Amino acid sequence: MGHAYGRMKKMSDMAAFSFRVEDMATLEDSFLADLDDLSDNEAELDESDGDDAKKDEEDIDMDMADLETLNYDDLDSVSKLQKSQRYLDIMQKVEEALGKESDGTEKGTVLEDDPEYKLIVDCNQLSVDIENEIAIVHNFIRDKYRLKFQELESLVNHPIDYARVVKKIGNETDLTLVDLEGLLPSAIIMVVSVTALTTKGSPLPEDVLHKTLEACDRALDLDSARKKVLDFVESKMGSIAPNLSAIVGSAVAAKLMGTAGGLSALAKMPACNVQVLGHKRKNLAGFSSATSQLRVGYLEQTEIFQSTPPALKSRAGRILAAKSTLAARVDATRGDPSGTNGKALREEIRKKIEKWQEPPPARQPKPLPVPDSEPKKRRGGRRLRKMKERYAVTDMRKLANRMAFGTPEESSLGDGLGEGYGMLGQAGSNRLRISSVPSKLKINPTIAKKLKERNYAGGATTSGLTSSLAFTPVQGIELCNPQQALGLGSGTQSTYFSESGTFSKLKKI
Amino acid sequence: MKPPKKKFESFPFCLGLLKRQIRDHREKMESVLLPTLTKKEEIDRIINNTIDKVLVLRFGRTSDENCLLLDDILEKSARDVSKFATVALVDVDSDQVQVYVNYFDITLFPSTVFFFNAHHMKLDSGTADHTKWVGKFHEKQDFIDVVEVIFRGAMKGKMIVHCPLPPERIPKFQLLYKDV
Repeated sequence: MGHAYGRMKKMSDMAAFSFRVEDMATLEDSFLADLDDLSDNEAELDESDGDDAKKDEEDIDMDMADLETLNYDDLDSVSKLQKSQRYLDIMQKVEEALGKESDGTEKGTVLEDDPEYKLIVDCNQLSVDIENEIAIVHNFIRDKYRLKFQELESLVNHPIDYARVVKKIGNETDLTLVDLEGLLPSAIIMVVSVTALTTKGSPLPEDVLHKTLEACDRALDLDSARKKVLDFVESKMGSIAPNLSAIVGSAVAAKLMGTAGGLSALAKMPACNVQVLGHKRKNLAGFSSATSQLRVGYLEQTEIFQSTPPALKSRAGRILAAKSTLAARVDATRGDPSGTNGKALREEIRKKIEKWQEPPPARQPKPLPVPDSEPKKRRGGRRLRKMKERYAVTDMRKLANRMAFGTPEESSLGDGLGEGYGMLGQAGSNRLRISSVPSKLKINPTIAKKLKERNYAGGATTSGLTSSLAFTPVQGIELCNPQQALGLGSGTQSTYFSESGTFSKLKKI
Repeated sequence: MKPPKKKFESFPFCLGLLKRQIRDHREKMESVLLPTLTKKEEIDRIINNTIDKVLVLRFGRTSDENCLLLDDILEKSARDVSKFATVALVDVDSDQVQVYVNYFDITLFPSTVFFFNAHHMKLDSGTADHTKWVGKFHEKQDFIDVVEVIFRGAMKGKMIVHCPLPPERIPKFQLLYKDV
């Protein structure tokens, strides 16, 4: 019970959390089991809540004690897989199978009945379990090694690399004596050596060191076992799922099958899920996560994906997932044992990716359109209406155009000569002048100036005493013409033909 | 774990760029060559078969420098006016074609005659001869303008149209009547 609690706590660690994304089907059972255990724990706690506070504390103490023993003492209580019967069974079978070459003739019509397939399925599950186990052991090592070199866990993320590095360094304080070549990329080695100089840790006591090294060995063993299992699955992948391995390659196919939990489970998944199987959410030290990270999991390792240009990688990932799902479905129903379907799909993918990379067809210059074939587009709207208003027929003009029946119209020069007035000024109509609103008619600017001049001049005759100065009763003589500010002062400046104009040229004779 | 080694993935991209360059170059090189007519039947056929499009027939020989200049302009604008005009070249040195040369009274080369729906269109460009256009065009746009005017006039039902070009752009020539 307490042990399950401890396991749950470890499960919530970041490293282990990534596994939740990877496998959904197979770990459900173990999680459910853990949850059940946990609920039992909670039920107990609730009971004790009702009873005694002291008892509560005792319980919690006991849990903490369990945790402590878990964390700091025994490797075997933490990592049980290697001793389990199932593990040993399967490893033995794998060794056998790797030793002998199996014949491909005996295949049942249903995939699930094939004993080899069962072994493959078991291997898949086992590989997932081994991964989890490695994570647990990694936590164990980390907790122990924290006292010595705390920063190492953030610099070296991968559990196996971490185990190797810990094994190499051991209890050494001076990292120049330790050769980490080949274990890590050189940049990381440099960072590690520099951090080691300033680390706060102290060398570990002997027994702790011994335990840590034992845990490292355990992790490496598990890793090699996992590799063996995966190699076996990979070698058999050609006979188990020929179409899928034709598209993505046998290694990736094995991994996909492993994390999906079997070929039929993989076939039941929608393609969008297959695309992200195996997606790791790791932020490497110093690298920003703001850059777009493609949503691809194991499919990233396929040859097709690696060879597409980066701009097309997201589309390639999608099409790979789609076609490999189809191939997996074919394989699950044993529809095509020869793998021709898979090869055809692979060819299709390749062609599509090549087509995307084709440059677009060049634009040829268009020939000119046939003259007068396209009718002019008349535009409407408020602006056009406003423009039209300036040239519109006014009400006065409309009335002048209309004529009453039976009555002769008046005209400007009388007797039918000159412009006719029509209905304008007739008894029937009310007014001579219709519009009192300022007319929106557009007036020629020179004519407008003349009209202003005329208005300013105030009639047919202009007295010779007019001047540009303005005489106002209140202020007396104003030396500047206020009407000039209004823009009417130019009435005195005139054109050659102006009525109120003066001589244009004055020359002294 | 080191990331798996990637192949040189920019190579397919570079290949795509190269393909594009080659295709563009090839398209620029290839221009639609104007059909050269040498037989009377061919001329008849093309006059009768060009429907609702102006037919431009250039009478000339390829050895003449003026003719080559005119041909260059015709070739370049053939595609642009292709929606309302067809351009063809007539080699004046062939025997069967002499019938037409005499009919249209073509003495100076190159000469261009315009047709619309098998009807001979006349062009008043200020010169003495309205039935044809003698000489070369100054620019591609001039030729396109002339063809457009002919098309508009023809669509309206006119037999003769007025040339839109300014007199500087119109090649002048002396019309000799019976060597006078």
